[in-house]
Amino acid sequence: MENPPLLPQVPVIRLPRPPSPSGRGFDPSSPRALAHHAADSHQKIRSTLRERFLRSLLASSGLPVTFTMYQRVTVNAEKFNACDMEAYNFQVSNLQTPLGVQDEALIRGPDIISYSFCI
Amino acid sequence: MTDWLNKTPVEWQSFVNKDVKVSADEKNEYQGWVITIDPVSASIVLANFEAQKTQIRVVMGHAVQKVEVFNEADDIIRERLSHIFSSYETSLQTSEDLETKKQNLKSWLEQNNIPVTLQGKLMRTLCVAGVLSIDPPYGPDDCSSSNEIILSRIQRLLQDYLTRQ
Repeated sequence: MENPPLLPQVPVIRLPRPPSPSGRGFDPSSPRALAHHAADSHQKIRSTLRERFLRSLLASSGLPVTFTMYQRVTVNAEKFNACDMEAYNFQVSNLQTPLGVQDEALIRGPDIISYSFCI
Repeated sequence: MTDWLNKTPVEWQSFVNKDVKVSADEKNEYQGWVITIDPVSASIVLANFEAQKTQIRVVMGHAVQKVEVFNEADDIIRERLSHIFSSYETSLQTSEDLETKKQNLKSWLEQNNIPVTLQGKLMRTLCVAGVLSIDPPYGPDDCSSSNEIILSRIQRLLQDYLTRQ
């Protein structure tokens, strides 16, 4: 009887050692940590940009908003309530849709092209 | 422009305070002053100044195809853009008012055994225990910290302080 063909050999990948349970994460001076670490100025710019964006969300809360969505759909909502961290879901009240008014609605971020409001 | 989502914060920063035309999906075009670009979703926040109010438009990062820069803001517009979302009182208050407000708040916090230091170029930011900063005009909404427990406690303290005054 013939031997069955050998299975292809799989190399063993060795993962880097994780931080020890009592440690405080990866060594900040290790090459790995340095490669991950963006310059301080980057982080500062990122935080100012993000702060301004969060303030814009804060300013829009409770105001009427108009959403421009894909397929040339434009809908109005009487009140902008909240949006999640990644701007992935928007929660609004009294959304005027072609099918009637929705008291509370959750709009998916990827369906939106833009939205506007006045302050 | 799928590239738009992968730009670095420094590249996004270069669009801030510029008059731009954004071409988005389905032939939508928007023009306005860039207030900021969210580094998480790459969404652009545009402002258009009208007679009495300001129209704000947020173009979602995934829908952005092209951004063209037309103009750079002068100092007046720059100032207006940076204070667009802060409370209206800020612009009305003089620096003297803010200085006394800051000193009062600082001494009040110190009376309550909360360590406070001054920070920043103009020494206008109050820093609480090295983990929370309070910017002018020193209201509960002007606190920022990465520690939400400390943040909510200090915000509540500030609220009490303001109602007691």
